[in-house]
Amino acid sequence: MKKKLILLSVVCMVILAFRAANDSGIKVPANFPKPVYDFSKNPLTPDKVLLGRALFYDPILSRNNQISCSSCHSQFSAFTHVDHALSHGIEDKIGTRNSPALMNLAWQKVFMWDGAVNHLDVQALAPMSNPLEMDENLANVVSKLQATKLYPKLFLNAFGDSVITGEHTLKAISQFMLSLVSSNSKYDSVMRKQAAFNDQEQNGYTLFKKNCASCHKEPLFTNDEFKNNGLPLDTTLNDYGRFGITKNPLDSFKFKVPTLRNIEFSYPYMHDGRFKKLSQVLNHYTAEIHQSQTLSPELHKPIVLTSNEKVDIIAFLLTLSDKSFLFNPQYFYPKEIFSKAAKD
Amino acid sequence: MKNSRTICLLIFIGFCQVALLHAQTIRLSFIPKYGDKAMLLSDSAFKANDSTDLEIAELKFYVSNMQLLKNGEVVFTEGNSFHLLDAKQAQTLQLSMDTKQPITFDELKFDLGIDSSSNVSGAMGGDLDPTKGMYWTWQSGYINFKLEGRSKHCETRNKEYQFHLGGYQSPNSCLQTLRFQVDNPNRIALILNVKAILDKLDLAKTNHIMSPCTEAVMLSQMVANAFKVSKN
Repeated sequence: MKKKLILLSVVCMVILAFRAANDSGIKVPANFPKPVYDFSKNPLTPDKVLLGRALFYDPILSRNNQISCSSCHSQFSAFTHVDHALSHGIEDKIGTRNSPALMNLAWQKVFMWDGAVNHLDVQALAPMSNPLEMDENLANVVSKLQATKLYPKLFLNAFGDSVITGEHTLKAISQFMLSLVSSNSKYDSVMRKQAAFNDQEQNGYTLFKKNCASCHKEPLFTNDEFKNNGLPLDTTLNDYGRFGITKNPLDSFKFKVPTLRNIEFSYPYMHDGRFKKLSQVLNHYTAEIHQSQTLSPELHKPIVLTSNEKVDIIAFLLTLSDKSFLFNPQYFYPKEIFSKAAKD
Repeated sequence: MKNSRTICLLIFIGFCQVALLHAQTIRLSFIPKYGDKAMLLSDSAFKANDSTDLEIAELKFYVSNMQLLKNGEVVFTEGNSFHLLDAKQAQTLQLSMDTKQPITFDELKFDLGIDSSSNVSGAMGGDLDPTKGMYWTWQSGYINFKLEGRSKHCETRNKEYQFHLGGYQSPNSCLQTLRFQVDNPNRIALILNVKAILDKLDLAKTNHIMSPCTEAVMLSQMVANAFKVSKN
């Protein structure tokens, strides 16, 4: 009998281990839906995530070896370019859009403000090759990485092959980006019944659900769609958003709905960073909507909010801040890897 | 006695034939030409025509989803069938398919370009690795066909023309399916006549196509029509 029990528990352990190995994705927060990303094609492992983290922080990805992903995506600002309406890249060249905050990317179907990128694995190609950002190409990056002492070892650990390929480079960067999960805000604690909103936050939440949540859908605070949110065209940029990709006039002025998680830290706001403060954003939605043919139907009827109500909505938005994400050491600059490599 | 010997011999020959058939390898070569001239590229551009200063500097394209058919029925489908052909690298123009099973066929079918599902599947390796210079970066998607060079008719920088044809989404899907009648040979040679493409273009007007669009679809159809089975 005892023997049978031992055998049974061994079998159970094997089955459990298998399940864990099969999952190989990220831990899905209890209040989140199923991720969009297909982890079976790029199962996460600690070595691959670590390699991706090194690549994310390494300026070797740029033509002059000075600009890294983190140059425009710093952790303390929810991985965006804080304080810059338009992000600047190589040789201080200024781009045409505000760098998007990076989090919960496993739940996104398409990437960039205009949805130009259709899969997270190929996202890094865009900034890497943009002449205003990193101005490099993947083939060069691969040969630069191969020539280092550090990376062939890291690729060997991660992929079992020290010969570096474009596919492995991109998949590793993807793995680090997939690991950027923000799900521990006060809002999340309230949803998990571990905390409660104060009256102001609660009122803000009620107003938010009535006026904002159709596009900024919970729990990710985006519906992952493209919308014209009534911003007048900035004629210094002439950015028509999604139209540039689909060439469909019905997509003019449409941009991807961004998440509002960690919005307190990811200013300035909108695709061109035109608003510095959340109060400006709310004033836009209540008083400055620019009418046009492609305006989102949700904004056809004006949103009416008193100034107190706006303050309450902002109080609610601040409950979306997740300090455990913004200061998570797992996302820090991987000092230990780079300093060890420098000594070698 | 004599009869049984003959029978044994016949059986033996039969076995040999089956074994040979089992090892059937079909070789497929692509021959880029400019009219009648062979067109292998190197670091220096191919000079097509002295009078118009027409040069061809780059010719790269994907063929994929190779199939062999008999009476319209598919008898062989190549696995992991993605090939990047580059006129600068002669070895990439030679493909071979091992059918494993003995087959007879009368038709070759393949796609010029990369199918839509592979275009939305993230980073891939081998010939599909984005380091190969056949993947757009500012917008996701493979370049199915690349043709670059110079012509005195182009009023562009350095008189260059550049055609990067691709796009996997309707209405600008550039993927072309090509079918050729072939008579069960173990060697098939397909000619791509670049002259047939360039002769139909007014390079003064059309000299840059770099994104999915109607012109890219039209040009892709012209490219598809420029392939022919070599009679030799």
